[in-house]
Amino acid sequence: MSAQVQSKSLLQSALLKLFRDKVSLSAIIIVSIYFSIGLLTFSGLLNIEWGKEVGPSYSTPSMDYLFGTDIFGRSVLLKTIKAIETAVLIGLSTSLIAIVIGTTLGLIAGYFGGIVDELIVWFYTTFSSIPWIMLLVSVAFILGKGTSSVFIALGVTSWTGLCRLVRAEVMKHKDREYVQAASSVGASHSRKMISHILPNIFHVLIINFTQTFDSAIKAEVILSYLGLGVQGRPSWGTMIDDAKLELARGVWWQLGAATLAMFIIVLAFNILGDALRDALDPKLKGK
Amino acid sequence: MEEKILEVKDLVVQFNTERGSIKAVNGVNFDVYKGKSIGIVGESGSGKSVSALAIMGLIPNPPGQVIGGDIVYRGDSLLKYSSLQMRKIRGNKIAMIFQEPMTSLNPVYTIGNQIEEVVALHRPELNSKERTNRAIEMLKLVGIPSPEKRVDEYPHQLSGGMRQRVMIAIALACEPDILIADEPTTALDVTIQAQILELMKRLQKEMGMGIILITHDLGVVAETCDHVSVMYCGQIVESADVQTLFKSPKHPYTRGLLGSIPSFDSTASTKKERLQTIEGMVPSLFNLPKGCNFQDRCQHATEACKGVKGDPVLKDLGQQHFVACFNPVQA
Amino acid sequence: MNLYTYVLRRLLYVVPVLLGVCLVVFVLFNLVAPDPAFVLLGKHATPLQIAQLHHELGLDKPFWAQYLDIVKSAFTLEFGYSWSSKQQIWEMIKNGVLPSLSLTIPIFLLSNTIAIIIALTTAYYRGKLIDRFMLIFTIATMSIPSLAIILFGQWAFAYKLGLFEIAGYERSIPEFIPYVLLPICIYVFINFGPDTRYYRTMILDEAYQDYVRTARSKGLSEVIVMFKHVLKNAMIPIITNTVIQIPNLFLGLLLAESFFSIPGLGSMTINAINNSDFPVIKAITILSSISFIVFGVISDVLYTVVDPRMRLK
Repeated sequence: MSAQVQSKSLLQSALLKLFRDKVSLSAIIIVSIYFSIGLLTFSGLLNIEWGKEVGPSYSTPSMDYLFGTDIFGRSVLLKTIKAIETAVLIGLSTSLIAIVIGTTLGLIAGYFGGIVDELIVWFYTTFSSIPWIMLLVSVAFILGKGTSSVFIALGVTSWTGLCRLVRAEVMKHKDREYVQAASSVGASHSRKMISHILPNIFHVLIINFTQTFDSAIKAEVILSYLGLGVQGRPSWGTMIDDAKLELARGVWWQLGAATLAMFIIVLAFNILGDALRDALDPKLKGK
Repeated sequence: MEEKILEVKDLVVQFNTERGSIKAVNGVNFDVYKGKSIGIVGESGSGKSVSALAIMGLIPNPPGQVIGGDIVYRGDSLLKYSSLQMRKIRGNKIAMIFQEPMTSLNPVYTIGNQIEEVVALHRPELNSKERTNRAIEMLKLVGIPSPEKRVDEYPHQLSGGMRQRVMIAIALACEPDILIADEPTTALDVTIQAQILELMKRLQKEMGMGIILITHDLGVVAETCDHVSVMYCGQIVESADVQTLFKSPKHPYTRGLLGSIPSFDSTASTKKERLQTIEGMVPSLFNLPKGCNFQDRCQHATEACKGVKGDPVLKDLGQQHFVACFNPVQA
Repeated sequence: MNLYTYVLRRLLYVVPVLLGVCLVVFVLFNLVAPDPAFVLLGKHATPLQIAQLHHELGLDKPFWAQYLDIVKSAFTLEFGYSWSSKQQIWEMIKNGVLPSLSLTIPIFLLSNTIAIIIALTTAYYRGKLIDRFMLIFTIATMSIPSLAIILFGQWAFAYKLGLFEIAGYERSIPEFIPYVLLPICIYVFINFGPDTRYYRTMILDEAYQDYVRTARSKGLSEVIVMFKHVLKNAMIPIITNTVIQIPNLFLGLLLAESFFSIPGLGSMTINAINNSDFPVIKAITILSSISFIVFGVISDVLYTVVDPRMRLK
């Protein structure tokens, strides 16, 4: 007789735990809904006619216009939904850029050590010595107005934290037995890094993803305020920015809709990030 | 006849987790006498540490709590004490040392400070100089060289063995009646182990306290204890004085534990014996079998063990030798 | 390696990092940026005017010389003149520091004090109602975009309810107080969530350590265990974290200063962006980086001093 021992990887058991808990499950559902909407509108399957004038300018929310209309008479509700696509795009692209740059550099630095490591450490120390907001604003300003500059600016400023973390983790794993075992059968450097070490630091990447997505969306709002935000498509940032002139006239619905939509997804990501950290970080005893 | 200072009676400690409630300690009885050592032996998860924490009132709540039985110290039920009363007992009348000497001391305070802290708490009549002297005295007592210098050092400047000595110094600074030692030597080198156990025996002779020694290592028990209780899945399966247990163990689990000790005795026999192991694994406390908890791993298990007669209870075989088994081994 | 060597090494490392920052500034503003000539002279500038401007601004020098110019300005703190206001940048900075500080220092002190107290309380009552409520409250407030909070705060409390000044500033004490009260309250509210959660994590990290169990086994009360044992250990990362925040105090709060018309360094930055004022943006970037680096060194050194484990002989 032998007891069946089901060994799950850290990731699998963490994900299971997440799905069991009601709160994090709702967060996952919310994130999925937002992402689906974003994907659907992006691919064109769902066509949101946000630019159409549907009613008189600045109509209050009513049965006809659920969230009222903006200065051009466009439906705030439709703008808010289209803005989901913008947010998802920004969040995803920023996180992708940040994760690719941060992980690659972190892996190389932690693995090879020596002068390569010194160089990369110098590189991210330099970037993180510039206050984030100044760097963001400078890059966005230099690249000029436009959506692509927003993506690049956000991506370029978000990778340093992850790089540092990845490097630390890689250094811890580099001398572990499983890596030495791989060496002993002749694995190449890249194989060791990618196939062996990387899966073991995956949890760091996932947690970082939720945080980067989160701060990217919030940063977009600031950029929009400074006039450096996305152009040609609605975003929550531009909607909130427009609100600064509207509030004095008693028009609150654009601010309300954008804030609410953003609040929900950011809250969901925060909850997920928390739950993931609790589930994946073996050091954390008790919340 | 030695004085009985602590009685643990039918102690039941329950833990409430997401997966359900389990009884980490399920009806445990033992006594502690002045100047005598009792060893509590078992694998990880047997409930031995939890029993000790229960005596100290340190069971984290949530998720654990004492739901049955009693702990009587010099006639008073500790379970009925208020937290204020318990705090007067801890470190003062009953003290405890733990398994991980490397992390059990506060890294940002000096050794002297940490010893003086417990003295200041329970002996407020002493002034600052007297407290420092007491700290130095205690360090000398536990065999730390140059105690006057060590008093101002930080934990990270000491080795594991030294740190454990400091823990003992802290525990004994107020001359408690009972010292509970939870796996005190498990994290230390074998040679240091021997030193620490020697130290504890010597201090017991000098100070006369009762010792509860918790361990999974039967060798340690043989060295230092007067009485032994063997625990399995939260219950005591056998208990006897140390000679009797080692000479004629009656419970199959105890025999298994003893059989798995490698023997270096060259006079024993010339034929090479295989190390006996106990087959199988400890059952999960969430999923205990009906009847005897040990049945799935026991070579002497019969139908009786499967639950028709209920759970096995401790029976007195004479001379304070108790066994909880339907088929105790006759040897 | 002893303390002095460590500090020395740390200080020396400042130089390559600062050079790196100058390199980033150089790449951004001298290489990638569009030619400022059109910004300054307009669309109809003649080639001669452009060439003259380039010479004035030092943009006709070879790249390495331009880089060195930036390095020189970083080390001598000579930033030249603003393109839009023609003022000496250093003068502008001197004017802007105090208003920024009048905002950021109170926020810093209040936010951190409140956060530590609440964090200690929730760590002490971990799992109970107040802890759960705080968890929900902090995560909820953290999820609202700060711009929305500022907008709403200003509209609701200053405009609608008239409890505070809407905007503006007075440079004298104590006349400036009514102007900074509302932004201070708003920002303390904004910072509450992240600060409290961070401190709570630091404190809880310590609260589960073995030495805490030892402290309890001595018979110490929970209060003493929390304050004497847990807090002193948690203070190490807490102090180093708060020290890092200090450079940000000088940078001011870009959004708040803009909304409430407070003439600090934040407003200066925003104006520079709106006016494409390169030298000002460069200056502020370099200056804030320098203070970041300096306080980073201070924080690291402080860490070794406060943690006895780091105090090598």
